[in-house]
This record gives sequence, C-alpha cells and structure tokens, in this order.
Amino acid sequence: MEIKELMNSSGLWLASIPIVVVIISLSSIYFRMAIRRAKEIGISKQRYIPAIRSAAITSLGPSLSPVIVLLSMIAIMGSPTSWMRLNMVGAARTELAMVTMSSGLLGIEPGNAAFGAQAFSYAVWGVALNDVGWFVVALLMTHRMGNAVSCLNQKFDRKWINMLMAGATLGVTGYLLANQIMSKLLVDNVSILLRMKGLLPALIAGTVMVIINRFFGKYQRLQELALGIAMLTGMFVTQFIYQ
Amino acid sequence: MNAQEFRTRCIKAGQFAMILCIIANFIPGIYLWLFHGIVPSLPDLFQLWLLAAGAFGVSWVVQPLAYYSAIGTAGSYLSWVVGSVVDIRLPAVNMAQEIAKVEPGTEEGEVISMLGVSVSVFVSVSMVTIFTLAGTMLIPLLPAFITGSFNYILPALFGAVYINLAKKNMKMGLGTLAVALIVLYINNFVGIKGALINLLVVIMGMIVARCVYVMEKKKQN
Repeated sequence: MEIKELMNSSGLWLASIPIVVVIISLSSIYFRMAIRRAKEIGISKQRYIPAIRSAAITSLGPSLSPVIVLLSMIAIMGSPTSWMRLNMVGAARTELAMVTMSSGLLGIEPGNAAFGAQAFSYAVWGVALNDVGWFVVALLMTHRMGNAVSCLNQKFDRKWINMLMAGATLGVTGYLLANQIMSKLLVDNVSILLRMKGLLPALIAGTVMVIINRFFGKYQRLQELALGIAMLTGMFVTQFIYQ
Repeated sequence: MNAQEFRTRCIKAGQFAMILCIIANFIPGIYLWLFHGIVPSLPDLFQLWLLAAGAFGVSWVVQPLAYYSAIGTAGSYLSWVVGSVVDIRLPAVNMAQEIAKVEPGTEEGEVISMLGVSVSVFVSVSMVTIFTLAGTMLIPLLPAFITGSFNYILPALFGAVYINLAKKNMKMGLGTLAVALIVLYINNFVGIKGALINLLVVIMGMIVARCVYVMEKKKQN
C-alpha cells in the first residue's frame, strides 16, 4: 500500500474514531449532569442558557485558528490522524513537533519522500505516548488537585515553575528550529542560497509573527490567525524564491 | 443530592472516561501493528516515550495544576483530554461564568464551568471535523505552487512558534536558540543520535531558564 493510501485508509479512520466518541460522550454526560444540578441549586434557565450561548460563541473564533496548521498536518500525517489529534490535547504545533522528533529517531523528516510506513508508525506512537501523559496525570491527580495546588505554591516560586516550563518548551522548539536551519546549512557542495532552505522560511515566518504582534496587537481576531498567516507567508515566499 | 455527592459523581464519570481515553489513544498504533505489521521496536518505543517526557513531561503535570482552580474538577477531566485549554476552554468558561454571574471556585461556578467546557467541546470538535473533511477534499485540487510550498511547512511553523514563545522572555529565547544552534553545529562533527541531542537541548533550555531566573532575582534584590 502507498503511504498516502495507508495514512488515509478507512481502517485508520475507524481506529481514530473511538477516542472522539469518548470525548463527545463525556461532554454530553457532563452537560446533562450540569443542567440537572443547575436546577437543583437554583441557577435559573434565564442564567444558564445565555451562559451556554456565550460559551459556544466564544469558542467559535479560537476553534478557527488552527485551520491552516490542520491543513499542513493533513499533508504530512493524513486526514484521520490529524483529525483525531487535533480533537485532543496537544496543540497542532505540539503534535507536529512530536511527529518531527519521532520520525527524527529514524533520521527521517516528515513530508520527505523517505517518510514511509515505518516513519509514520513512529510518529503515530510518538504522539500517542505524548498525549497519554496528560490523561494519566488527569486520572491520578484531578481528584486531589486542590491539595496539590496549595502544596506546589508553598514549595516553589510560581515564577520559577512558569519559567521552567517555558524553558522546556523553548528547548523543544529551539531544537526543532535549529535542526531545520542547520541540517540544510551544513550540506556540502551547494550554493549558499540553496543552503538557506531552512533558515529562510523560518526567518520570514518569524518576522511576520513579530509584525502582527507589534503593529496589529489590538485586533484580537487577527492575533488568533497570526500563526497561520506567518506560516503561509514563510512557505509561499520561500517557494517563490526557489521556484 | 448534596455538593459532595455531585462532586463524587463527576469524578467517577471523569475517571472512567480517562481510562477509556488511555486505551483509545493507542488504537491507531495498535491497528498499524496488527493489520499492517509496522510498529517501532520496544527500545525505540521507550526512546519515543523518553523524548515525549523530556519535551513535555513538565507540562503534563504543571499545566493541569495551573488551571485547576479556574476550570474546576469536571472541567479538568474534559479539558485535559480535549486540550486547547488556554485558547478555547478558559475563555469559554470565563465568559459563561461572567454571563451567569457566578464566582469560580463555588459550586455554582463549577456547574457553569462544566456547561462552558462541554459546549466548547461540541463546537471545537464540529469545527475540526468540518475543516478536516473540507481540507481532505481541497488538498488534491491545490496548484503545484502551493503543494510545493508544503516543503517549507516545518521551518516556517517552528520559526513562527519560536518567535511567539521567545517574545515572552527574550533573554531565554535568544539564549536557548543560540545554545541549540551551537550544540547542533558541534554535533555535526560528533554525530550523537537524534533523540539524545534532542533531550540535551531541552535540558539546556531548562538550564538557561534557571540562569535567567537567578539573574533576574539578583537584580531585584
């Protein structure tokens, strides 16, 4: 089977559906429980209906923002896997980072011609092993979270914990970015322009991101789409240069 | 039913769903193994886990703790399966609580938070589904210029994401990227395997964070 066929096979669709069914079921159960409880403790319909409506409208905008990254992910991982993972924890960029790292274990880059069935299976397992981390913590800790929060705040400086998390995230993304830049820069016997195939799109996308943040900070809707716009600009301009 | 009974019920439903999620999460991997005979070797699976734990392990624990008081118990179970907590769940919960005029942390707040999170899940799952189907149909129709530009998805993505992360703390951002570039340049001659170098850079990122933290603390005093 061709790798693209395998990635989009009906078998893989069937395998990707169960977790989304669990998610929708839990949401429906909680929704019904909450409505019943609201009546019991005296929250009137006039209060909870507008609340539901505003929650739905609020989540509409940000739900649109990962669309461009979703399309990129479909190009790399096929539709069923992208659909399943984007319905779950781990932002699109986290999943793509994990995909890149996983196939990197075989020395293969996603989207490359060498990205075959084996690399795909590494990527599928990689994202699963990452996502399961959150589930296990939620399973084991949520019911005693109240105590854990106060313990964490007593023992550690909040600011340091945030910086530690930021440090790890910067480390992951920094590695992936540096790898994109370096792996092409260090190729021998080609012109310097051809060695910039990693640096150029990164630089352009980064610059667009800065411009959107700096000069269009007050347009909330634009900020939600910033990542997608920056990415597309980086991709298209680079493609135009190398065409 | 009193408040404690209600909470217990929420926890039971949440825990049961969590166990199902842990199983369902691996079905695609198991499918590829059983039906197509492709699976990473056991040592490689361990390495994959190590990579994930090194890169996101701190987030697994700290994120659920950090947002617990804002989204409550039931909201936490649901949120940490569906993700997008900061950009979708929290705003939905905040708005719902504000409109219903309830305080977070109270039982009323918890009930409205449950409604907010579950409604936001219905919305976001619908959106992702619609756009996946649209995208699947759209991609084969795209002109060669655009499909050609897909070659630059990853550098463009990581470039934009990195700048976005780094702007919150420029010192950490520049420091970590510099370290990553130097490590990878040196490794070009040393040739350590990908996973180890990856972990090394993540640890370096945390060390840079520590240095900046200590420096900033000193400046304050």
